[in-house]
Amino acid sequence: MVAKGWLNGRSPRKQMAGSTKRQFAYLLMVLPGVLFLLAFAYLPMPGTVLSFKFYQMTVPPEGFWLQDTFLYSVFVTSKWVGLENFVYLINEAPMLIRNTVGYNLLFMLVGLVLQVGLAVLINELRNRKTAKVYHTIMFMPYFVSWIVVMYALYTLISTDGFINKVLMMFGGQGVKFYSERMYWPWIFTIAQIWKYTGQGAIIYLATLTGFDEQLYEAGAIDGATKWQQFRFITLPQLMPVIVMLQILAVGRIFNGDFDMFYSLPNGSGTLRQVTQTIDVYVYDTLKTGQLRNSFGYAGAAALFQSVVGFVLILTTNAVIRKHQPDMALF
Amino acid sequence: MTVAAKKKEKHSFTASEARNLISKRTNVFFNIIMILGCIFTVFPLWIIFISSITSEVALTTYGYRLWPIEFSANAYTYLFRDGSIMITAYKNTLIATVCGTVLSTVTVGLYSYALSRKDFKYRKFFTFFSFFTMLFSGGLVSYYNICRSFLGLKDTVYALFLPLSFSAYWVIIMRTFYNSNVPEEVIESARIDGSGEWRTLIQIVVPLAIPGYATVALFSAIGVWNDFRQCLLLNDSSEFYNLQYTIYQTMNNLRFLKENASKMGGVNVSNLPSETFRMAMAVVTVGPIIMAYPFFQKYFIKGLTVGAVKG
Repeated sequence: MVAKGWLNGRSPRKQMAGSTKRQFAYLLMVLPGVLFLLAFAYLPMPGTVLSFKFYQMTVPPEGFWLQDTFLYSVFVTSKWVGLENFVYLINEAPMLIRNTVGYNLLFMLVGLVLQVGLAVLINELRNRKTAKVYHTIMFMPYFVSWIVVMYALYTLISTDGFINKVLMMFGGQGVKFYSERMYWPWIFTIAQIWKYTGQGAIIYLATLTGFDEQLYEAGAIDGATKWQQFRFITLPQLMPVIVMLQILAVGRIFNGDFDMFYSLPNGSGTLRQVTQTIDVYVYDTLKTGQLRNSFGYAGAAALFQSVVGFVLILTTNAVIRKHQPDMALF
Repeated sequence: MTVAAKKKEKHSFTASEARNLISKRTNVFFNIIMILGCIFTVFPLWIIFISSITSEVALTTYGYRLWPIEFSANAYTYLFRDGSIMITAYKNTLIATVCGTVLSTVTVGLYSYALSRKDFKYRKFFTFFSFFTMLFSGGLVSYYNICRSFLGLKDTVYALFLPLSFSAYWVIIMRTFYNSNVPEEVIESARIDGSGEWRTLIQIVVPLAIPGYATVALFSAIGVWNDFRQCLLLNDSSEFYNLQYTIYQTMNNLRFLKENASKMGGVNVSNLPSETFRMAMAVVTVGPIIMAYPFFQKYFIKGLTVGAVKG
């Protein structure tokens, strides 16, 4: 550094000044981002104490330095209740955890098989151009919002929707999908497949195309069939990526796709047992809860989710770091 | 040609023709699978589209079809009549998408550039500062209340894009992009030539990083356009609804009216938004994105692969 400065005809002192100026410039660059993070991520964090309080809404007295009802209520007037809010959740917890974790595991498993399958198929097709067209089409649903999916679903499964028309055409009975619980795990899974298979295949496809051709050629010369090549060459090489992505998914297992679970059932109350995940429950409690302390209960559920998620991410990251240090998040 | 020569040629085909291709028969089979997959993908959207250009009468008589029995564009003209909720929704969504995209590209671009500079003293701190938000959140309740009252976002257009304008995930993508596409020597030589940090960034780095900005901008644009949750949480007045929430509300109200029609002593059915009208709403909501995305596909693919491989 110093030597360069001298060569450049600048004194070390000037270099130092330049460095301070540079640090200042960098700080100025991060400033807008810092403001966003503060406002939308850090500012809500202290509010988690609400999980241990009984929310008592109070308008701050005039002249109080903080003129914000929510913050004033949380930090000044609400009473500590210890773990009471969490105890309240115990009744709901098994159903919520079953739905959230169960659906996530299901989506992970089905997604993995179909995404790897699609990637391999695209990679093997003889005509590259048609392969690309197929992929462009199947990637498309990733950009379709869940609300539009809700519309599409409605045209398919409403009482006079497409599926019921077909069923009745073949003399079958109409099905009331919006009030029958048993169909919804299937509907959610198919919706997930529809939306994410093309997108999920991308990462596997990118990995596949990077593989060494010579391995396959050697395999072919040794008489390996295409299936054997997949089983003994492709799959082992793909394994690190597969494991990585699954571990990352485990880290998010307590988070559901809120938009999907909230919108697809079209507000049907009878389906709640099979459609309510932790995210949806938190929102419902917050917004429509008739309970006296709905803020406290929703806060407790959200905190539970955050903490479990946090622990899971740390754990999964530790596992990745042990097996594949360069893939660890931190 | 002798048999031996033929055999040899065939052999050399499988061995050297780089990809030892699948057999023709398997290829046909794979193509069939892919075509079925494409039909499965397009089918639901196709039904929406066809319903939207069918006349209302034909739709109520014959139900959803794969081809319009009676063509009509009434729904679309009705959609954009004066004072339609869809015009407000479109306006809000467009403003939010443009502002959100510009804002996120600039803020993420700046933030991650600083993080990509090895001589930034507080690099570690600010990396953690953004990364931590991916690990832990303050929960929906306080987010909801702070956005609505403390930050004053309730019932504003800002609510539709400000909370979505910065994400630690994009910072990771963009930082990786700077590190791999902007050579250190270029920045170093600009500095020796006496260029300040800002000038180096704008004149040297920005032109090199444009594909990276495009990736962030496109993801951000899709994110704001498709957003439903911020509007659900923060905006109560229909004046500030975006597209997704508007069409969600339409469907929701319809269900509510249908369910409670008997209790309320008969609802005037003619006041309900017609089926074709609703389908047209869905089409104009998703249309622009489906039309535009194939042109930008490579940026999306880049964004998805970079982010997933290295955090």
